[in-house]
Amino acid sequence: MTGAAKQLPRWERGAGTADRTLRSELAVCLWFPQFALHCELQRHSDLAVRPTAVLAAEDSRRLWQVSPSARRAGVKPGMTVSQAIGLCPCLSLLEADPVHYDEQFSNLLLVLSDVSPVIEPAELGRVYIGVDGLEPLHGSPEQQVAMIQQTVATWQQMEIGQGEISTPVVHLGWGRGKFTAWVAATRARPDEAVIISEAKRVEFTASQPIAVLRIDPDMHRRLWQLGIKRLSDLARLPEIAVTSQFGTMGRRLWSLAAGKVVDPVVGREIPEPIVAAIDFPNPVADRGMLAHALDRLIARALRHPQRTGWRIFGVQASARQENGASWMVAVTLRDPTADRYHIAEPLKVRLTQTPPTRAVETLAVEFTRFVRGTDELQLFARDANSSARAGRQRALRTAIREIRARYIHSGLYQIVEVQPHSRLLERRYALIEYDP
Amino acid sequence: MTPNKLQPLNLPRPVQVCLDGTGLPLSVTGSHTVVPPHRSAHDRNGGKEASEHRPRPVVSIIEVWRVDDEWWRQPISRRYLEVVLEGGRHVVLYEDLNTGDWFMQRI
Repeated sequence: MTGAAKQLPRWERGAGTADRTLRSELAVCLWFPQFALHCELQRHSDLAVRPTAVLAAEDSRRLWQVSPSARRAGVKPGMTVSQAIGLCPCLSLLEADPVHYDEQFSNLLLVLSDVSPVIEPAELGRVYIGVDGLEPLHGSPEQQVAMIQQTVATWQQMEIGQGEISTPVVHLGWGRGKFTAWVAATRARPDEAVIISEAKRVEFTASQPIAVLRIDPDMHRRLWQLGIKRLSDLARLPEIAVTSQFGTMGRRLWSLAAGKVVDPVVGREIPEPIVAAIDFPNPVADRGMLAHALDRLIARALRHPQRTGWRIFGVQASARQENGASWMVAVTLRDPTADRYHIAEPLKVRLTQTPPTRAVETLAVEFTRFVRGTDELQLFARDANSSARAGRQRALRTAIREIRARYIHSGLYQIVEVQPHSRLLERRYALIEYDP
Repeated sequence: MTPNKLQPLNLPRPVQVCLDGTGLPLSVTGSHTVVPPHRSAHDRNGGKEASEHRPRPVVSIIEVWRVDDEWWRQPISRRYLEVVLEGGRHVVLYEDLNTGDWFMQRI
Protein backbone atom coordinates (compact mmCIF):
# COMPACT_ATOMS: atom_id res chain seq x y z
CA MET A 1 0.00 0.00 0.00
CA THR A 2 1.38 3.34 -0.94
CA GLY A 3 0.12 6.83 -0.56
CA ALA A 4 0.04 9.56 2.00
CA ALA A 5 -1.75 8.91 5.26
CA LYS A 6 -4.60 11.28 5.87
CA GLN A 7 -6.08 12.06 9.22
CA LEU A 8 -9.60 13.40 9.12
CA PRO A 9 -10.61 16.37 11.26
CA ARG A 10 -12.38 14.26 13.90
CA TRP A 11 -9.08 12.54 14.62
CA GLU A 12 -7.46 15.89 15.30
CA ARG A 13 -10.45 17.12 17.29
CA GLY A 14 -10.24 14.06 19.51
CA ALA A 15 -6.60 14.62 20.42
CA GLY A 16 -5.96 15.96 23.90
CA THR A 17 -9.40 15.07 25.25
CA ALA A 18 -8.32 11.95 27.10
CA ASP A 19 -8.31 13.58 30.54
CA ARG A 20 -11.90 14.76 30.54
CA THR A 21 -13.45 13.22 33.63
CA LEU A 22 -16.83 12.85 35.28
CA ARG A 23 -17.13 12.70 39.07
CA SER A 24 -19.73 11.45 41.50
CA GLU A 25 -19.51 11.34 45.30
CA LEU A 26 -22.41 8.94 45.74
CA ALA A 27 -21.20 5.54 44.69
CA VAL A 28 -22.40 2.01 44.21
CA CYS A 29 -19.76 -0.71 44.40
CA LEU A 30 -20.55 -3.79 42.35
CA TRP A 31 -18.33 -6.69 43.32
CA PHE A 32 -17.99 -10.17 41.80
CA PRO A 33 -15.52 -11.94 44.10
CA GLN A 34 -14.73 -14.79 41.66
CA PHE A 35 -15.13 -13.15 38.28
CA ALA A 36 -12.43 -15.14 36.44
CA LEU A 37 -13.72 -18.44 37.78
CA HIS A 38 -17.23 -17.47 36.75
CA CYS A 39 -16.03 -16.71 33.21
CA GLU A 40 -14.37 -20.12 33.04
CA LEU A 41 -17.43 -21.96 34.34
CA GLN A 42 -19.47 -20.29 31.65
CA ARG A 43 -17.13 -21.71 29.02
CA HIS A 44 -16.82 -25.13 30.68
CA SER A 45 -20.31 -25.78 32.02
CA ASP A 46 -19.38 -29.42 32.77
CA LEU A 47 -17.00 -28.15 35.48
CA ALA A 48 -19.71 -26.32 37.43
CA VAL A 49 -20.35 -29.32 39.70
CA ARG A 50 -16.70 -30.33 40.05
CA PRO A 51 -13.93 -28.86 42.23
CA THR A 52 -12.25 -26.32 39.97
CA ALA A 53 -9.44 -23.76 40.24
CA VAL A 54 -8.01 -21.12 37.92
CA LEU A 55 -4.22 -20.84 37.85
CA ALA A 56 -2.54 -17.48 38.40
CA ALA A 57 -1.69 -15.64 35.18
CA GLU A 58 1.76 -14.58 36.38
CA ASP A 59 2.69 -17.91 38.02
CA SER A 60 0.93 -20.93 36.54
CA ARG A 61 2.18 -23.15 39.38
CA ARG A 62 -0.10 -21.40 41.86
CA LEU A 63 -3.87 -21.24 42.20
CA TRP A 64 -5.66 -17.92 41.82
CA GLN A 65 -9.39 -18.53 42.20
CA VAL A 66 -10.96 -21.62 43.71
CA SER A 67 -14.53 -22.94 43.47
CA PRO A 68 -16.57 -23.53 46.67
CA SER A 69 -16.44 -27.34 46.25
CA ALA A 70 -12.62 -27.17 45.99
CA ARG A 71 -12.51 -24.97 49.10
CA ARG A 72 -14.47 -27.59 50.98
CA ALA A 73 -11.71 -30.07 50.09
CA GLY A 74 -9.17 -27.71 51.70
CA VAL A 75 -7.87 -26.09 48.49
CA LYS A 76 -7.11 -22.38 48.88
CA PRO A 77 -5.98 -19.57 46.56
CA GLY A 78 -2.19 -19.19 46.51
CA MET A 79 -1.52 -22.91 46.97
CA THR A 80 0.80 -24.67 44.55
CA VAL A 81 -0.69 -27.13 42.07
CA SER A 82 1.02 -30.04 43.82
CA GLN A 83 -0.40 -29.07 47.23
CA ALA A 84 -3.87 -28.66 45.75
CA ILE A 85 -3.83 -31.99 43.90
CA GLY A 86 -2.56 -33.65 47.05
CA LEU A 87 -5.65 -32.37 48.89
CA CYS A 88 -8.12 -32.85 46.07
CA PRO A 89 -7.01 -35.36 43.39
CA CYS A 90 -10.08 -34.71 41.20
CA LEU A 91 -9.44 -30.95 41.09
CA SER A 92 -9.88 -29.45 37.62
CA LEU A 93 -7.26 -26.84 36.78
CA LEU A 94 -7.73 -24.09 34.22
CA GLU A 95 -5.07 -21.78 32.86
CA ALA A 96 -5.92 -18.09 33.26
CA ASP A 97 -7.16 -16.26 30.17
CA PRO A 98 -7.04 -12.56 31.20
CA VAL A 99 -7.96 -11.25 27.77
CA HIS A 100 -11.22 -13.23 27.82
CA TYR A 101 -12.01 -12.05 31.35
CA ASP A 102 -11.38 -8.46 30.32
CA GLU A 103 -13.72 -8.83 27.35
CA GLN A 104 -16.45 -10.22 29.58
CA PHE A 105 -15.90 -7.44 32.10
CA SER A 106 -16.09 -4.84 29.33
CA ASN A 107 -19.48 -6.27 28.38
CA LEU A 108 -20.64 -5.72 31.94
CA LEU A 109 -19.32 -2.13 31.91
CA LEU A 110 -21.20 -1.59 28.68
CA VAL A 111 -24.57 -2.54 30.15
CA LEU A 112 -23.84 -0.54 33.31
CA SER A 113 -23.26 2.57 31.21
CA ASP A 114 -27.03 2.48 30.58
CA VAL A 115 -27.55 3.12 34.30
CA SER A 116 -25.00 5.90 34.79
CA PRO A 117 -22.41 7.70 32.66
CA VAL A 118 -19.93 7.66 35.56
CA ILE A 119 -18.33 4.23 35.63
CA GLU A 120 -14.98 3.48 37.21
CA PRO A 121 -13.63 -0.07 36.92
CA ALA A 122 -11.31 -0.71 39.88
CA GLU A 123 -10.12 -4.23 39.10
CA LEU A 124 -11.43 -7.32 37.42
CA GLY A 125 -14.84 -8.01 38.97
CA ARG A 126 -15.09 -4.71 40.92
CA VAL A 127 -16.60 -1.57 39.49
CA TYR A 128 -17.89 1.69 40.96
CA ILE A 129 -20.96 3.36 39.55
CA GLY A 130 -21.48 7.06 40.24
CA VAL A 131 -25.10 7.82 41.14
CA ASP A 132 -25.02 11.58 41.85
CA GLY A 133 -28.14 13.18 40.44
CA LEU A 134 -29.79 9.92 39.44
CA GLU A 135 -32.66 10.17 41.94
CA PRO A 136 -35.05 11.85 39.48
CA LEU A 137 -34.27 9.14 36.94
CA HIS A 138 -34.03 5.95 39.01
CA GLY A 139 -35.51 6.97 42.41
CA SER A 140 -34.25 6.32 45.95
CA PRO A 141 -30.98 4.52 46.71
CA GLU A 142 -32.95 1.27 47.09
CA GLN A 143 -34.45 1.77 43.66
CA GLN A 144 -31.05 2.68 42.19
CA VAL A 145 -29.59 -0.53 43.58
CA ALA A 146 -32.57 -2.51 42.27
CA MET A 147 -32.00 -0.95 38.85
CA ILE A 148 -28.34 -2.04 38.91
CA GLN A 149 -29.31 -5.54 40.06
CA GLN A 150 -31.78 -5.75 37.20
CA THR A 151 -29.13 -4.58 34.74
CA VAL A 152 -26.66 -7.15 36.03
CA ALA A 153 -29.35 -9.85 35.78
CA THR A 154 -29.92 -8.86 32.14
CA TRP A 155 -26.17 -9.10 31.52
CA GLN A 156 -26.07 -12.50 33.19
CA GLN A 157 -28.90 -13.74 30.99
CA MET A 158 -27.08 -12.47 27.92
CA GLU A 159 -23.81 -14.04 29.01
CA ILE A 160 -25.04 -17.25 30.56
CA GLY A 161 -28.00 -17.95 28.31
CA GLN A 162 -30.72 -20.47 28.86
CA GLY A 163 -30.25 -23.69 30.77
CA GLU A 164 -26.80 -22.99 32.22
CA ILE A 165 -26.19 -23.33 35.92
CA SER A 166 -23.27 -20.99 36.59
CA THR A 167 -24.66 -17.81 38.11
CA PRO A 168 -22.08 -15.48 39.61
CA VAL A 169 -22.47 -14.13 43.09
CA VAL A 170 -22.75 -10.35 43.20
CA HIS A 171 -22.33 -8.04 46.19
CA LEU A 172 -23.56 -4.45 46.11
CA GLY A 173 -22.80 -1.53 48.40
CA TRP A 174 -24.22 2.01 48.26
CA GLY A 175 -22.66 4.95 50.11
CA ARG A 176 -20.95 8.32 49.88
CA GLY A 177 -17.47 7.78 48.49
CA LYS A 178 -15.91 4.71 46.97
CA PHE A 179 -14.48 3.49 50.26
CA THR A 180 -17.85 3.42 52.00
CA ALA A 181 -19.47 1.73 49.00
CA TRP A 182 -16.69 -0.88 48.86
CA VAL A 183 -16.89 -1.67 52.58
CA ALA A 184 -20.68 -1.89 52.29
CA ALA A 185 -20.31 -4.33 49.38
CA THR A 186 -17.97 -6.53 51.41
CA ARG A 187 -20.61 -6.63 54.15
CA ALA A 188 -23.46 -7.46 51.75
CA ARG A 189 -24.76 -11.00 51.52
CA PRO A 190 -24.53 -12.65 48.11
CA ASP A 191 -26.92 -11.05 45.61
CA GLU A 192 -27.98 -8.46 48.20
CA ALA A 193 -27.06 -4.84 48.81
CA VAL A 194 -26.05 -2.81 51.86
CA ILE A 195 -27.03 0.86 51.74
CA ILE A 196 -25.22 3.26 54.06
CA SER A 197 -26.91 6.62 54.50
CA GLU A 198 -24.79 9.73 55.05
CA ALA A 199 -25.96 9.94 58.68
CA LYS A 200 -24.54 6.48 59.43
CA ARG A 201 -21.45 6.65 57.24
CA VAL A 202 -18.81 7.57 59.83
CA GLU A 203 -20.26 5.21 62.43
CA PHE A 204 -20.40 2.37 59.90
CA THR A 205 -16.82 2.73 58.68
CA ALA A 206 -15.49 3.15 62.23
CA SER A 207 -17.01 -0.18 63.27
CA GLN A 208 -15.22 -2.13 60.53
CA PRO A 209 -12.12 -4.30 61.09
CA ILE A 210 -8.87 -3.03 59.58
CA ALA A 211 -9.00 -5.99 57.16
CA VAL A 212 -11.27 -3.85 54.96
CA LEU A 213 -8.28 -1.61 54.17
CA ARG A 214 -6.41 -2.70 51.06
CA ILE A 215 -2.92 -2.64 52.53
CA ASP A 216 0.09 -4.88 52.30
CA PRO A 217 0.38 -7.73 54.83
CA ASP A 218 3.37 -6.10 56.54
CA MET A 219 1.46 -2.92 57.34
CA HIS A 220 -1.53 -4.97 58.42
CA ARG A 221 0.68 -6.91 60.84
CA ARG A 222 2.19 -3.72 62.26
CA LEU A 223 -1.26 -2.22 62.87
CA TRP A 224 -2.34 -5.43 64.53
CA GLN A 225 0.76 -5.45 66.76
CA LEU A 226 -0.06 -1.87 67.80
CA GLY A 227 -3.47 -3.10 68.97
CA ILE A 228 -5.33 -1.41 66.10
CA LYS A 229 -8.02 -3.89 65.17
CA ARG A 230 -10.86 -1.64 64.01
CA LEU A 231 -10.99 1.56 61.99
CA SER A 232 -12.28 3.37 65.09
CA ASP A 233 -8.98 2.45 66.84
CA LEU A 234 -7.07 4.02 63.96
CA ALA A 235 -9.29 7.12 63.82
CA ARG A 236 -8.80 7.71 67.55
CA LEU A 237 -5.04 8.16 67.11
CA PRO A 238 -3.66 11.63 66.29
CA GLU A 239 -3.31 12.07 62.55
CA ILE A 240 0.29 13.21 62.90
CA ALA A 241 1.25 10.08 64.86
CA VAL A 242 -0.18 7.80 62.16
CA THR A 243 1.54 9.84 59.46
CA SER A 244 4.90 9.66 61.23
CA GLN A 245 4.59 5.86 61.54
CA PHE A 246 3.18 4.99 58.15
CA GLY A 247 3.89 8.01 55.93
CA THR A 248 1.53 9.24 53.23
CA MET A 249 -0.29 5.93 53.10
CA GLY A 250 -0.90 6.18 56.86
CA ARG A 251 -2.39 9.65 56.47
CA ARG A 252 -4.71 8.44 53.74
CA LEU A 253 -5.83 5.44 55.80
CA TRP A 254 -6.43 7.66 58.82
CA SER A 255 -8.56 10.02 56.70
CA LEU A 256 -10.63 7.11 55.38
CA ALA A 257 -11.04 5.59 58.85
CA ALA A 258 -12.10 8.94 60.34
CA GLY A 259 -14.47 9.65 57.46
CA LYS A 260 -12.61 12.88 56.67
CA VAL A 261 -12.33 12.23 52.96
CA VAL A 262 -14.82 11.11 50.40
CA ASP A 263 -13.21 9.56 47.36
CA PRO A 264 -15.44 10.19 44.35
CA VAL A 265 -16.11 7.83 41.50
CA VAL A 266 -14.16 9.15 38.54
CA GLY A 267 -15.54 8.24 35.16
CA ARG A 268 -14.16 9.23 31.80
CA GLU A 269 -16.03 10.84 29.01
CA ILE A 270 -16.42 8.49 26.08
CA PRO A 271 -13.88 9.46 23.42
CA GLU A 272 -14.82 11.13 20.18
CA PRO A 273 -14.80 8.68 17.29
CA ILE A 274 -11.27 7.80 16.17
CA VAL A 275 -10.68 7.88 12.44
CA ALA A 276 -7.74 6.67 10.38
CA ALA A 277 -7.80 7.13 6.61
CA ILE A 278 -5.61 6.73 3.58
CA ASP A 279 -5.62 8.22 0.06
CA PHE A 280 -4.49 5.86 -2.67
CA PRO A 281 -2.44 7.61 -5.39
CA ASN A 282 -4.03 5.20 -7.89
CA PRO A 283 -7.57 3.95 -7.24
CA VAL A 284 -7.58 0.38 -5.87
CA ALA A 285 -10.12 -2.25 -6.87
CA ASP A 286 -8.28 -5.33 -5.59
CA ARG A 287 -10.09 -6.70 -2.52
CA GLY A 288 -6.97 -8.26 -1.06
CA MET A 289 -5.25 -4.90 -1.12
CA LEU A 290 -8.27 -3.20 0.45
CA ALA A 291 -8.35 -5.85 3.19
CA HIS A 292 -4.66 -5.26 3.84
CA ALA A 293 -5.27 -1.51 4.01
CA LEU A 294 -8.07 -2.12 6.54
CA ASP A 295 -5.61 -4.04 8.73
CA ARG A 296 -3.11 -1.19 8.63
CA LEU A 297 -5.73 1.47 9.36
CA ILE A 298 -7.14 -0.49 12.32
CA ALA A 299 -3.63 -0.91 13.74
CA ARG A 300 -3.03 2.83 13.38
CA ALA A 301 -6.35 3.76 15.00
CA LEU A 302 -5.66 1.37 17.90
CA ARG A 303 -2.37 3.19 18.57
CA HIS A 304 -4.15 6.52 18.98
CA PRO A 305 -3.52 7.86 22.51
CA GLN A 306 -7.19 8.65 22.94
CA ARG A 307 -7.96 4.93 22.63
CA THR A 308 -5.84 3.93 25.67
CA GLY A 309 -8.04 2.42 28.36
CA TRP A 310 -10.95 1.86 25.99
CA ARG A 311 -12.16 -1.14 24.06
CA ILE A 312 -13.95 -0.93 20.76
CA PHE A 313 -17.35 -2.37 20.04
CA GLY A 314 -18.57 -0.27 17.14
CA VAL A 315 -16.51 0.21 13.98
CA GLN A 316 -17.19 1.30 10.44
CA ALA A 317 -15.24 1.37 7.19
CA SER A 318 -15.99 3.86 4.47
CA ALA A 319 -14.56 4.65 1.05
CA ARG A 320 -14.75 7.31 -1.62
CA GLN A 321 -14.86 5.68 -5.05
CA GLU A 322 -13.44 6.99 -8.29
CA ASN A 323 -16.86 7.94 -9.68
CA GLY A 324 -17.50 10.11 -6.64
CA ALA A 325 -19.86 7.58 -5.03
CA SER A 326 -19.33 6.45 -1.46
CA TRP A 327 -19.28 3.05 0.22
CA MET A 328 -19.73 2.27 3.91
CA VAL A 329 -20.16 -0.75 6.18
CA ALA A 330 -20.76 -0.57 9.94
CA VAL A 331 -20.26 -3.40 12.39
CA THR A 332 -21.14 -3.89 16.05
CA LEU A 333 -18.66 -6.32 17.56
CA ARG A 334 -19.90 -9.25 19.59
CA ASP A 335 -17.48 -8.49 22.45
CA PRO A 336 -15.72 -5.19 23.06
CA THR A 337 -12.10 -5.67 22.10
CA ALA A 338 -8.77 -3.99 21.47
CA ASP A 339 -7.58 -6.89 19.32
CA ARG A 340 -6.79 -5.96 15.73
CA TYR A 341 -7.82 -9.34 14.39
CA HIS A 342 -11.22 -9.29 16.12
CA ILE A 343 -11.96 -5.82 14.76
CA ALA A 344 -10.77 -6.54 11.23
CA GLU A 345 -12.48 -9.86 10.62
CA PRO A 346 -16.13 -8.69 10.52
CA LEU A 347 -15.15 -5.72 8.34
CA LYS A 348 -13.40 -8.04 5.89
CA VAL A 349 -16.46 -10.30 5.78
CA ARG A 350 -18.62 -7.29 4.93
CA LEU A 351 -16.04 -6.18 2.36
CA THR A 352 -16.42 -9.57 0.66
CA GLN A 353 -20.23 -9.59 0.90
CA THR A 354 -20.85 -6.02 -0.23
CA PRO A 355 -17.69 -4.73 -1.88
CA PRO A 356 -17.30 -1.22 -3.32
CA THR A 357 -18.69 -1.07 -6.85
CA ARG A 358 -15.75 0.93 -8.24
CA ALA A 359 -12.08 1.41 -7.49
CA VAL A 360 -11.41 3.13 -4.17
CA GLU A 361 -9.62 6.47 -3.92
CA THR A 362 -9.85 6.99 -0.13
CA LEU A 363 -10.40 4.35 2.54
CA ALA A 364 -11.18 5.17 6.20
CA VAL A 365 -11.75 3.19 9.38
CA GLU A 366 -13.66 4.80 12.23
CA PHE A 367 -14.05 3.50 15.78
CA THR A 368 -17.49 4.71 16.72
CA ARG A 369 -18.38 3.09 20.05
CA PHE A 370 -16.18 2.47 23.07
CA VAL A 371 -16.28 0.65 26.40
CA ARG A 372 -13.90 1.11 29.31
CA GLY A 373 -11.43 -1.73 29.89
CA THR A 374 -9.96 -2.40 33.31
CA ASP A 375 -6.70 -0.55 33.93
CA GLU A 376 -5.22 -3.74 35.34
CA LEU A 377 -5.81 -5.64 32.13
CA GLN A 378 -4.90 -2.76 29.89
CA LEU A 379 -1.49 -3.17 31.47
CA PHE A 380 -1.69 -6.82 30.56
CA ALA A 381 -2.61 -5.96 26.99
CA ARG A 382 0.35 -3.60 26.75
CA ASP A 383 2.70 -6.33 27.81
CA ALA A 384 4.06 -7.79 24.60
CA ASN A 385 4.82 -11.23 26.01
CA SER A 386 1.39 -11.61 27.49
CA SER A 387 -0.26 -10.50 24.27
CA ALA A 388 1.86 -12.94 22.32
CA ARG A 389 0.91 -15.68 24.76
CA ALA A 390 -2.76 -14.84 24.41
CA GLY A 391 -2.39 -14.93 20.63
CA ARG A 392 -0.68 -18.33 20.79
CA GLN A 393 -3.43 -19.65 23.02
CA ARG A 394 -6.06 -18.44 20.58
CA ALA A 395 -4.27 -20.20 17.72
CA LEU A 396 -3.93 -23.37 19.80
CA ARG A 397 -7.61 -23.27 20.69
CA THR A 398 -8.56 -23.08 17.04
CA ALA A 399 -6.20 -25.94 16.16
CA ILE A 400 -7.55 -28.08 19.00
CA ARG A 401 -11.14 -27.46 17.90
CA GLU A 402 -10.26 -28.62 14.40
CA ILE A 403 -8.41 -31.72 15.61
CA ARG A 404 -11.27 -32.63 17.95
CA ALA A 405 -13.83 -32.21 15.21
CA ARG A 406 -11.94 -34.85 13.29
CA TYR A 407 -10.52 -37.22 15.89
CA ILE A 408 -12.67 -36.51 19.01
CA HIS A 409 -9.54 -36.29 21.19
CA SER A 410 -6.99 -33.59 20.53
CA GLY A 411 -4.06 -35.73 21.68
CA LEU A 412 -2.40 -32.58 23.02
CA TYR A 413 -0.97 -32.68 26.49
CA GLN A 414 0.76 -30.32 28.84
CA ILE A 415 3.44 -31.11 31.41
CA VAL A 416 2.60 -30.00 34.96
CA GLU A 417 4.59 -30.16 38.12
CA VAL A 418 2.91 -32.48 40.60
CA GLN A 419 5.51 -33.02 43.32
CA PRO A 420 8.59 -31.36 41.82
CA HIS A 421 10.76 -32.12 44.86
CA SER A 422 9.67 -35.73 45.37
CA ARG A 423 12.49 -38.23 45.87
CA LEU A 424 10.58 -40.60 43.58
CA LEU A 425 11.25 -39.35 40.06
CA GLU A 426 7.98 -40.65 38.58
CA ARG A 427 5.99 -38.44 40.93
CA ARG A 428 7.54 -35.13 39.95
CA TYR A 429 5.78 -34.38 36.66
CA ALA A 430 2.69 -35.55 34.83
CA LEU A 431 0.88 -35.05 31.57
CA ILE A 432 -2.61 -33.66 31.50
CA GLU A 433 -4.81 -33.08 28.52
CA TYR A 434 -4.34 -29.59 27.18
CA ASP A 435 -7.71 -27.90 27.12
CA PRO A 436 -7.34 -24.12 27.00
CA MET B 1 -7.32 -29.50 31.52
CA THR B 2 -8.59 -32.28 33.71
CA PRO B 3 -6.30 -33.86 36.27
CA ASN B 4 -8.41 -37.00 36.40
CA LYS B 5 -6.61 -37.76 33.14
CA LEU B 6 -3.26 -37.17 34.84
CA GLN B 7 -0.59 -39.40 33.31
CA PRO B 8 2.62 -39.74 35.32
CA LEU B 9 5.78 -38.99 33.40
CA ASN B 10 9.07 -40.85 33.66
CA LEU B 11 7.58 -44.10 34.90
CA PRO B 12 10.26 -46.67 35.82
CA ARG B 13 10.88 -49.35 33.19
CA PRO B 14 12.01 -52.84 34.20
CA VAL B 15 15.53 -53.78 33.14
CA GLN B 16 17.96 -56.64 33.71
CA VAL B 17 21.15 -55.61 35.47
CA CYS B 18 24.35 -57.60 35.66
CA LEU B 19 26.13 -56.90 38.97
CA ASP B 20 29.72 -57.22 40.08
CA GLY B 21 30.79 -58.79 43.35
CA THR B 22 30.13 -55.60 45.33
CA GLY B 23 26.57 -55.23 44.02
CA LEU B 24 27.31 -52.43 41.56
CA PRO B 25 25.97 -52.67 37.99
CA LEU B 26 28.24 -53.78 35.18
CA SER B 27 25.69 -53.75 32.36
CA VAL B 28 22.02 -53.08 31.70
CA THR B 29 19.71 -55.03 29.42
CA GLY B 30 16.17 -54.03 28.47
CA SER B 31 14.01 -51.79 26.33
CA HIS B 32 15.39 -48.29 26.46
CA THR B 33 12.46 -46.56 24.87
CA VAL B 34 8.79 -46.27 25.66
CA VAL B 35 6.73 -47.90 22.96
CA PRO B 36 3.08 -47.14 22.14
CA PRO B 37 1.05 -50.27 22.84
CA HIS B 38 -0.43 -50.47 19.33
CA ARG B 39 3.01 -50.92 17.73
CA SER B 40 5.19 -53.98 17.96
CA ALA B 41 8.57 -53.71 19.61
CA HIS B 42 10.18 -54.28 16.22
CA ASP B 43 8.20 -51.40 14.64
CA ARG B 44 8.84 -49.14 17.53
CA ASN B 45 12.54 -49.58 17.44
CA GLY B 46 12.71 -49.43 13.69
CA GLY B 47 14.15 -52.92 13.56
CA LYS B 48 16.58 -52.30 16.40
CA GLU B 49 14.92 -54.77 18.76
CA ALA B 50 17.97 -56.96 18.98
CA SER B 51 20.29 -54.06 19.75
CA GLU B 52 17.93 -52.81 22.53
CA HIS B 53 18.15 -56.17 24.22
CA ARG B 54 21.89 -56.58 24.15
CA PRO B 55 23.66 -55.65 27.40
CA ARG B 56 24.76 -52.02 27.60
CA PRO B 57 27.93 -51.68 29.69
CA VAL B 58 27.91 -49.19 32.54
CA VAL B 59 30.79 -46.79 31.94
CA SER B 60 30.69 -44.97 35.25
CA ILE B 61 28.67 -44.64 38.42
CA ILE B 62 28.13 -41.04 39.41
CA GLU B 63 26.13 -41.33 42.60
CA VAL B 64 24.47 -43.91 44.83
CA TRP B 65 21.65 -43.20 47.30
CA ARG B 66 18.83 -44.93 49.06
CA VAL B 67 15.17 -44.02 49.56
CA ASP B 68 13.00 -45.55 52.28
CA ASP B 69 9.56 -44.02 52.37
CA GLU B 70 5.85 -44.52 52.91
CA TRP B 71 6.39 -47.18 55.56
CA TRP B 72 2.90 -46.35 56.80
CA ARG B 73 1.15 -47.73 53.69
CA GLN B 74 3.01 -49.56 50.89
CA PRO B 75 6.65 -49.39 52.00
CA ILE B 76 9.06 -48.09 49.37
CA SER B 77 12.66 -49.13 49.68
CA ARG B 78 14.98 -48.41 46.76
CA ARG B 79 18.69 -48.25 46.08
CA TYR B 80 19.33 -45.67 43.37
CA LEU B 81 22.37 -45.34 41.11
CA GLU B 82 22.99 -42.52 38.71
CA VAL B 83 25.06 -44.05 35.90
CA VAL B 84 26.47 -43.31 32.46
CA LEU B 85 25.96 -46.08 29.89
CA GLU B 86 28.17 -46.85 26.95
CA GLY B 87 27.46 -44.22 24.30
CA GLY B 88 27.14 -41.49 26.93
CA ARG B 89 23.52 -42.00 27.95
CA HIS B 90 22.86 -40.68 31.45
CA VAL B 91 20.20 -42.63 33.40
CA VAL B 92 19.07 -43.56 36.89
CA LEU B 93 18.84 -47.22 37.85
CA TYR B 94 17.21 -48.43 41.02
CA GLU B 95 16.80 -51.73 42.76
CA ASP B 96 13.50 -52.34 44.49
CA LEU B 97 14.81 -53.76 47.78
CA ASN B 98 11.44 -55.36 48.54
CA THR B 99 11.34 -57.47 45.37
CA GLY B 100 14.92 -57.40 44.06
CA ASP B 101 13.75 -56.08 40.65
CA TRP B 102 15.71 -53.42 38.76
CA PHE B 103 14.24 -50.39 36.97
CA MET B 104 15.53 -47.56 34.84
CA GLN B 105 14.41 -43.91 34.66
CA ARG B 106 15.49 -40.74 32.95
CA ILE B 107 17.05 -38.10 35.11
